[in-house]
Amino acid sequence: MKNNLLIAAAGAGKTTHFVQESLKLTESVLITTFTEENKEEIRKKFFELNNGVIPHNVTIRTWFSFLIEHGAKPYQGKLTNKNINGLLLMNKKSGFRYKNGKFPVYYKETEVEKHYFSNDFQIYSDKLSKFVVRCNDKNNGYVIERIARLFKHIFIDEVQDMAGYDLEIIKLLFQSDSIIKIAGDPRQVTYQTHFPDKYKKYSDGKIQEFILNECKSIDVNIDTDTLKDSWRNNQIICNFANYLFPEYPSCDSLHNEITGHDGVFLVREKDIERYLIEYSPTQLRYSRTKKVNPNYEVKNFGESKGTTRDRVLIYPTQKISDWLLNDKKLDDFDIKCKFYVAVTRARYSVAIVCKNNIETDILPIYEY
Amino acid sequence: MIRSVKIENFKCIKGSFTLDFKKGINILVGNNEAGKSTILEAIHLALSGIFRGKLVKGNLTQYLFNYEVVKEYLENVNDGKTSEPPYILIELYLDEVLPILEGDKFSEKKTTGKTSGIALKIALDEKYNEEYESLIKSGNIESLPIEYYDVEWYSFARKALTARSIPIKSSFIDVGFSKFRNGSDIYISRIVQNILDTDEKTKVAQAYRKVKETFSKDQSIADINSKITDISKLSNKEIELTVDLGSRSTWDGSLITQLDKIPFDFIGKGEQSIIKTDLALSNKRAEASSIILIEEPECHISHSRLNQLLNNIKDNYHDKQIILSTHSSFVSNKLGLDNLILLNKQKTVKFDHLSSKDFFEKVSGYDTLRLILCKKAILVEGDSDELVLQRAYRDNNNDKLPIEDEVEIISVGTSFLRFLEIAECLEIPVKVVTDNDGDLESLKRKYKNYLGKNKKSNIEICYEEKIHTGPLTIGKDNKPFNYNTLEPALLRANSLEKLNSIFDTKYETEDSLLKYMKSNKTDCALKIFSSQDKINYPEFIMRAL
Repeated sequence: MKNNLLIAAAGAGKTTHFVQESLKLTESVLITTFTEENKEEIRKKFFELNNGVIPHNVTIRTWFSFLIEHGAKPYQGKLTNKNINGLLLMNKKSGFRYKNGKFPVYYKETEVEKHYFSNDFQIYSDKLSKFVVRCNDKNNGYVIERIARLFKHIFIDEVQDMAGYDLEIIKLLFQSDSIIKIAGDPRQVTYQTHFPDKYKKYSDGKIQEFILNECKSIDVNIDTDTLKDSWRNNQIICNFANYLFPEYPSCDSLHNEITGHDGVFLVREKDIERYLIEYSPTQLRYSRTKKVNPNYEVKNFGESKGTTRDRVLIYPTQKISDWLLNDKKLDDFDIKCKFYVAVTRARYSVAIVCKNNIETDILPIYEY
Repeated sequence: MIRSVKIENFKCIKGSFTLDFKKGINILVGNNEAGKSTILEAIHLALSGIFRGKLVKGNLTQYLFNYEVVKEYLENVNDGKTSEPPYILIELYLDEVLPILEGDKFSEKKTTGKTSGIALKIALDEKYNEEYESLIKSGNIESLPIEYYDVEWYSFARKALTARSIPIKSSFIDVGFSKFRNGSDIYISRIVQNILDTDEKTKVAQAYRKVKETFSKDQSIADINSKITDISKLSNKEIELTVDLGSRSTWDGSLITQLDKIPFDFIGKGEQSIIKTDLALSNKRAEASSIILIEEPECHISHSRLNQLLNNIKDNYHDKQIILSTHSSFVSNKLGLDNLILLNKQKTVKFDHLSSKDFFEKVSGYDTLRLILCKKAILVEGDSDELVLQRAYRDNNNDKLPIEDEVEIISVGTSFLRFLEIAECLEIPVKVVTDNDGDLESLKRKYKNYLGKNKKSNIEICYEEKIHTGPLTIGKDNKPFNYNTLEPALLRANSLEKLNSIFDTKYETEDSLLKYMKSNKTDCALKIFSSQDKINYPEFIMRAL
């Protein structure tokens, strides 16, 4: 089918799948993904699978740089003729004007240069896709047509992080002549492109619902099967991760390597040092505020996305501990996703830090 | 292929100039200062970033700019008036839709729909606004502050361009010939590069690298190196001679093209341009849309070789677009008058837009070109008029031939109006010398667009205002003799005796001389033309000179 959504589990080999698919094609291919790291992963995968070469018909771009080069710039003329000086990453709503009492007032869309751009004319990351949609509207759809003529095949990775007008662009691409394949794991929403009013109800990884509700008249095949299993995690880790998101098809392990320390464990705080010495895991934490042992590799949950490690040691937040040990619901979507990401980094073992006085049989406790 | 070019303030183009092209062959014809070369150079610059063999970036000079524009700007600044710093803009609007070059960054706003193209702009760099402002404040600047200028080369999609990223292959075959340092020709290497595909280029590059490496490893080099190391007493480090392997200068700058074992540079220039054209035409790579720019192919080349060259172009251009400038009527004729674009002082006329096109297609284009290429033209009816006018011109201009002053005297038969159409379009100064044939009304009707209130500043119709009559009749039917042609006018301006001596005749009456002149028009004209004696010319001829 022309349009495809692939729901992928962590470690299912999305990148490998995309690279293998595009190597079969002779027409022009665009592969776009969210982060620079992921873009590098894709490049490396090409080098690995294609004798160290990226074929000339393949273009790899991050989502933002793709949107600036092919979405915004070609037909920006009806909105502004000023030179766009790249992107300004925003972690809150952009275009702040002044504060009216408690309430912030923002520049309206009609004030184009203030609404979309910073003072040195960088485009705000949270408005880039909106700008693209407006350019397309004002130019009879030329923006999307141009993209469709440039790229016969478009692969979009990490779609679970798309929101608002990003989704609108995906919808427009579905309606274009290009063959579109998008993939993502709705359980790994760690970073959203913006803080949308548009399509707000499809944040929180509801890309599948978006397609079912908003793209009804467009043919989109939803494939939850091809990439459902993991090449990375062993079966115990898969089971544990499935338990976090019981509403998704359960993921099975595709490897059965045994190392002697395999599965999911609890590690008492007092044993952390010993555990680090014995297994050298990568330490994962929710944020920088958590103190860890600086002599071992450490990553925040969010930034660990896309990476693979043999072993990880997770410092859980209070909510995670409560869910795990005190049977409370884990209803914070952000924490739940990031924890899922952390758990699914490991090939062989996941260890979770717990208080010294814990006695439980939910998970085996590390003893030396 | 290029649909049109827009040029602003570049070289001899003051202000803005737009020129449309068509598929296949386009021939630019015009006088020396008409801007033919400027147009070719502008197109080539926008396609390659190269001006006269050098990348324009880093080689900016004030002389790229229109002289008058710069002069006005400098005067304004020095008078304390605000004046926008001049810029150069070249925009190429392309015909095929190339999505990679498609967008809305172009200045010709009439253009609607999807538009692909590339542009090159040389303008004040905003980075230097501060420095520039203080420079202007200080007043009194002698030249354009070119150090604050930068070259922007971009597609209509606002994407910065490099020579590699342009999907159109262009070849420029020019008269000047631009060289690499080692004498190999830049354009020939460009053309060769265009023909090769990526794979082949890589292979050549590798072979070149290998040769360089082998050279450094040769025994004689090794010997020399040990010798050098021994000589040096200052340092105990090893010193050696080697080839520059790291430099980006690749094979195309170091290799030279040879022809029959003679370096390309040493063969005749005409031959060079033939070969370059040949190579450019033979580029068969399908994915590349090709444009070949040829500057005055008639230079440095014999007639028969030119003929071959033109045949080659005509037979082999296929889907390539050719833009060619020429002075030669032969070239234009050979490649098809349909393809002519006439240029004069930034005015253009497409030959196939002229209403007289059909006519000019039937006659030789030679006379048309004489008109286009001259500074001033005098149009006459027939050969005898032409001869008399030639002589009259010499007599009134210190014995100079009209052609020496780039004045053309063209005999056009009855086609005055068709020539005037071109002259009007191109604003070429033209005088028409015509008989009134005894019917001033019909003459005024014929030239109504050029007389009275319709008079064009560059066109003057010269005729005799007075109708002359006389008793003479001719032929069996005793038709009245026409006293209102050149011959009777000449007689009136001179005398029977004078003309008898010029023609070496002994007619006793004016009427018999007139009869003789009428039936021997060309003879008489030739005698006037080559006579030792000067004659007097009627007023309407003098007006035309």
